[in-house]
Amino acid sequence: MLQPIQVGDIALLLAVVLISAYFLGSYIVRVYKRTPSHLDRLFNPIESTIYKICGVDPEKGMGWKEYFFAALVLNVFQMAIAFVILMFQNDLPLNPQHFPGLSWHLDLNTVVSFATNTNLQHYNGESTLSYLSQMSAIQFLQFTSAATGICCGIAMVRGFVINSKDLGNFYVDFVRSLTRLFIPLCFIAAVVLLALGVPQTLSGYKMVTTVEGGTQSILAGPVASLVSIMQLGTNGGGYYGANSAYPLQNPNPASDVVQIFLMLLIPTALCFVFGEYIGKRKESIPIIVGAYALFVIDLIIAFIPNPIVVGPGMETRFGGFMTTFWTVVTTAVTTGSVNSALAGNNPLAIVAAFLGMFIQATPGGKGVGLMYLLMYIVITVFIVGLMSGRTPEYLGIKINSRDVKLIMIAFLIHPLIIIIPTIVTYAGGFASTVGLMGNSIGFTQILYEFTSSAANNGSDFLGATANTPFFNVATAIVIFLGRYGPIACLLALAGSMIGRKRATTEAAIKTHTLTFSVILVASILILVVLTFFPFLALGPILAYLQHNANFFGF
Amino acid sequence: MSQTTSAIESAGEKPKLKEETGGRQSFSSLILSPKVLVDSIVRLNPVSLLSNPVMFIVEITFFIVAAMAVDPRLFYPVAYVSERTFYVEVAIILLVTVWFSTLSDALAETQARITANSLRTLETEVMSKKIVDGQDGKRNVLVLPSNQIRKGDIISVEKNDIIPIDADVLQGIAMLDESLLTGESTPVRKAPGDQLIGGSKVISDSLVARVSVNPGETYINQMIKLVESSKRPKTPNEQAVTIVLIGLTAIFSIIVIGLLGLSVALNLGGDLSVLIALYVCLLPTTIGALLPAIGLSGISRLYARKIVAKSGRAIETAGDTDTILLDKTGTITVGNRQAIEFIPFDNYTEKDVGEAAFLASWHDDTPEGRSIIRLSYDRGFIPKEINALDLAEVYEFSATTRTSGVKLRSGDSFMLPKVGEGGRGRYRRKSVDEAFAEFVDYDLTGSNKSPDSIEIIKGAPDSIRKIAVSVPPEFDKTIENISLAGDTAIAIARNRNIIGVIRLKDVLKPGIKEKIQAVKVMGIRPVMITGDQPLTAKSIANEVGIEEFVPQAKPEDKHEIVLREQDESRVVAMIGDGTNDAPALAVADVGLAMNSGTQAAKEAANMVDLESNPAKIIDVVLLGKQLLMTRGAVTAFSIANDIAKYFAIVPVLFLTVPQLEALNILGLGLHSAVLSALIFNAIIIPLLIPLAMRGVSFKPASTMAIFLRNTLIYGVGGVIAPFIGIKAIDYLLQIVFHI
Repeated sequence: MLQPIQVGDIALLLAVVLISAYFLGSYIVRVYKRTPSHLDRLFNPIESTIYKICGVDPEKGMGWKEYFFAALVLNVFQMAIAFVILMFQNDLPLNPQHFPGLSWHLDLNTVVSFATNTNLQHYNGESTLSYLSQMSAIQFLQFTSAATGICCGIAMVRGFVINSKDLGNFYVDFVRSLTRLFIPLCFIAAVVLLALGVPQTLSGYKMVTTVEGGTQSILAGPVASLVSIMQLGTNGGGYYGANSAYPLQNPNPASDVVQIFLMLLIPTALCFVFGEYIGKRKESIPIIVGAYALFVIDLIIAFIPNPIVVGPGMETRFGGFMTTFWTVVTTAVTTGSVNSALAGNNPLAIVAAFLGMFIQATPGGKGVGLMYLLMYIVITVFIVGLMSGRTPEYLGIKINSRDVKLIMIAFLIHPLIIIIPTIVTYAGGFASTVGLMGNSIGFTQILYEFTSSAANNGSDFLGATANTPFFNVATAIVIFLGRYGPIACLLALAGSMIGRKRATTEAAIKTHTLTFSVILVASILILVVLTFFPFLALGPILAYLQHNANFFGF
Repeated sequence: MSQTTSAIESAGEKPKLKEETGGRQSFSSLILSPKVLVDSIVRLNPVSLLSNPVMFIVEITFFIVAAMAVDPRLFYPVAYVSERTFYVEVAIILLVTVWFSTLSDALAETQARITANSLRTLETEVMSKKIVDGQDGKRNVLVLPSNQIRKGDIISVEKNDIIPIDADVLQGIAMLDESLLTGESTPVRKAPGDQLIGGSKVISDSLVARVSVNPGETYINQMIKLVESSKRPKTPNEQAVTIVLIGLTAIFSIIVIGLLGLSVALNLGGDLSVLIALYVCLLPTTIGALLPAIGLSGISRLYARKIVAKSGRAIETAGDTDTILLDKTGTITVGNRQAIEFIPFDNYTEKDVGEAAFLASWHDDTPEGRSIIRLSYDRGFIPKEINALDLAEVYEFSATTRTSGVKLRSGDSFMLPKVGEGGRGRYRRKSVDEAFAEFVDYDLTGSNKSPDSIEIIKGAPDSIRKIAVSVPPEFDKTIENISLAGDTAIAIARNRNIIGVIRLKDVLKPGIKEKIQAVKVMGIRPVMITGDQPLTAKSIANEVGIEEFVPQAKPEDKHEIVLREQDESRVVAMIGDGTNDAPALAVADVGLAMNSGTQAAKEAANMVDLESNPAKIIDVVLLGKQLLMTRGAVTAFSIANDIAKYFAIVPVLFLTVPQLEALNILGLGLHSAVLSALIFNAIIIPLLIPLAMRGVSFKPASTMAIFLRNTLIYGVGGVIAPFIGIKAIDYLLQIVFHI
């Protein structure tokens, strides 16, 4: 049960996020619009050197296909590099603990998962990965995947800009994302986390004598830098298997709040970016209101008074409130980091987590959340807009059957890659291989595994127990399709907006109003959430109804 | 039924749009027609359902459930022998659902065909007089329907004839009224070499002309093709809605197949028929069933207004209109000006002018002439010479002089009618030219002028000026002032002395102001096109509330205006009927041609108004909006219905999971939940057929206001209605069938 003071805490935090995001949004617009700034003197030489080395013509604009394939090819190339590093980490330096190379399927799962901003982890970092693997393969992919996501989001926005001729240049966007956004922000965040007690060292695990006289290995490493990008980039893959439930990754409530802030910051800023980028600030209203209204609905569901006490795995340092709040946030922005074992959460918090991952736009992952929000707006305008007596228009662009087709395909991908693998898991008897039963506990966990993969979230119940060939390969496929399928459809949608006629008369449906925002929220709930309702009913809702405290307990 | 449903029905019963009933039959009489019933059953053939994917799938599910009823063992473990009766019930409801859909198709198509056929009789055939060289070298006149005229034929046209088709003048000079075609209200003079526009009217003299184009195919034939729903191509908007429906169908297919798989894998005890019921309930069956009928009845409603559309697409585009080009004459004004004031000169009084005008106009049958008589009569200016009028010498209107008049002699009233000399034998007809020839003599000699005869001539100020012995000093100033006010002046001369002028005013069509207001409220920009002077144009535009007007426009200018508007991404609707309008009609997004217009215009336009009423362009726009609105409303309603259906069926989905009963907020029984939801799903289709066929009612308001109102009724109503409806059906089932 929420106390008024806790509601106040949440409101205060969200207010701080919204205000910071507003200013960051303006900065992001300038980064991608290539507005001249004082920072150019610092960054331009670096960037132009990179362009020169890579043979990129920064002035060349790309159509949607070119942009998409540039992103895809670069991502696959990065996966290949990381794949090699992880496979041969025992032969590479910075491996003081002498961890062996990863199996092919865990390696595949890990690189796909990290290159797509998912960070589903079927391993425990502290006992599997070397320092080099953490810093090069993992952290490298966390930067590039966040940058890729934000680039695609910005590219989609450009499709809606009046008189835009192309979706921009992927390589330029990518480089600028790193140089001007992620690296500076992560540096600041890492310093803050360092100050709050998160370690950053390469000196190997230390054996120390505890106060009781026993010995303990302190699993310290370059944690602060990884945590900053994992949260800022909505990656979620932690240094440790227990993620931010582990004291060294998340030592105290202050670091906990900072990490929540970091998770929400950029996805929220991107909501503001849209309106400013297209030159109609008000058009951000349905995006920000829609995303946050759904987020608050998630929170309300998660905090419904609940007879179920927190289960085992709950991180007692933070308590039920902080844990539940974190769980909702991490799924709302598809980060997937956790500050507790999910099994310790009450079933309704799990329902809320599912909702966040089904919708993927509350406000969703880096860039991709914005893409989904725009998609929801376009389809909502189409479905309800006819009732105004005009062919529905968004920003003056008439929505045609091709647009609708692309959106429906993007829509369809999600249920397809969640439900089919879930059924296959049961039909093929793979559930029992990870010790799951054919009941609502097992079902929730399997459904969660694939939902988290499809939504590129990465939080999971199974963790290292799912390190089996079936789960590694199945989730890798789901992650890959869940990432690039919708991005391709939505970039195609944005690409087709270019050069289209735009009505100059006043819009039939004013999308920048609160009324439209309410309709948007209702339509998302009906179109997305209801789709999965029977499955939620068999999983966490059933668990809740059965009033079983230890339902998710292992 | 629920409150919301009844709200929808009552909304449908009071269409705010003016509804004409000609050629339409009530739904009940159509439903009872055996032809419709047979047609609806024939349409159950799965092959013919393929064009409607949602209904096709519902029919497949019917076959599956029917098979379950026949032998449940085939479907182990998701069917139970003990449930056979239930399967029969479900199968019947599924079949009825499909039948309701085919019924709505059959109804809409029959209604459209009836309306279309009734229009056939309305298509007015303009007759034309073809001149043929007879065997004896004499010329004969052959009267033919104008669609039998070919290019190169020679035709003759006389006073009051409608020019049947575009032609070039060979002989004669005549005045033509092209006001309906060009918007220019002043009669136009045509001489050899000039072009005649089909649809214009001869108001004086006669001509011989050579036909310059061939007539095209009749529109009725094109229209009948549109009504055959199987042949009717889907409009772009219909296509987009269909894609949404297919997408939703695909999503729900995955969901239900997933649930089936889970049920088997986890031994949840699910029943295939219940899953199918959930599936069918979730499918957008309401809109899927009514989509074809909505599009067709949109065309049908247009027919009822005597407008023929060449494609369904044109009607929808009309709903998107941003700019509407309105010809002043015929659309905004009635096309004929009316006398409103007599202005005397010098020592003359208003009464003098009024009486003179009365005498001069007595034999003038034009609306303008009649309006002068009416004004004199209203003011009490009835001349004492009225008795002499029957025997007066009439100067008919001539294109060369642009005047007309009358000559009364004091002794005329006592003379016998000069039979044989006058057109109708009652008074002597004389051309003005003849009279003028005489007058030249008068004027030169001055001797022939008998003081006891009165000659009154009225006409265009500059023509009267030419024949007048003296021009009053204030003449020019007065004429100018009248033009400035947007009116027209007719000067009156008595015995060649200019005694005053008549002020004629353009008269607005009744209700046009309100229509223009409605259009403006809905965010559409009206632009007035007129051949008038800027000042005249401005005064009319101000009067009806139009901000933008194009004065002194030639028909060719319309084309330019359309292109200019389209350049700014606006959707343009316009009317036209002259050949000169054809290029503009062809490029305009919505082009409404007048049936009285030329073949070229009718070819270029995408709609033809059989009644040739240009003001109907506004109705066309509103109809287009109504069509889109209806489609949107039923779609939103259909999707919003899903919430209640989930809550009805999901709780009873799996027998082994009784805890889900907690979600059964409607408190439905096991079988009754499924049956109630399915019955609601089916019955909502016929309940909405009237809405689909009449269209959503709306009052002109801003698009956002209309949108919000419809969202409230059909969106929010669509969420609430099924909760009430399903519960009500459940209650009935329990009472009547004890299910």
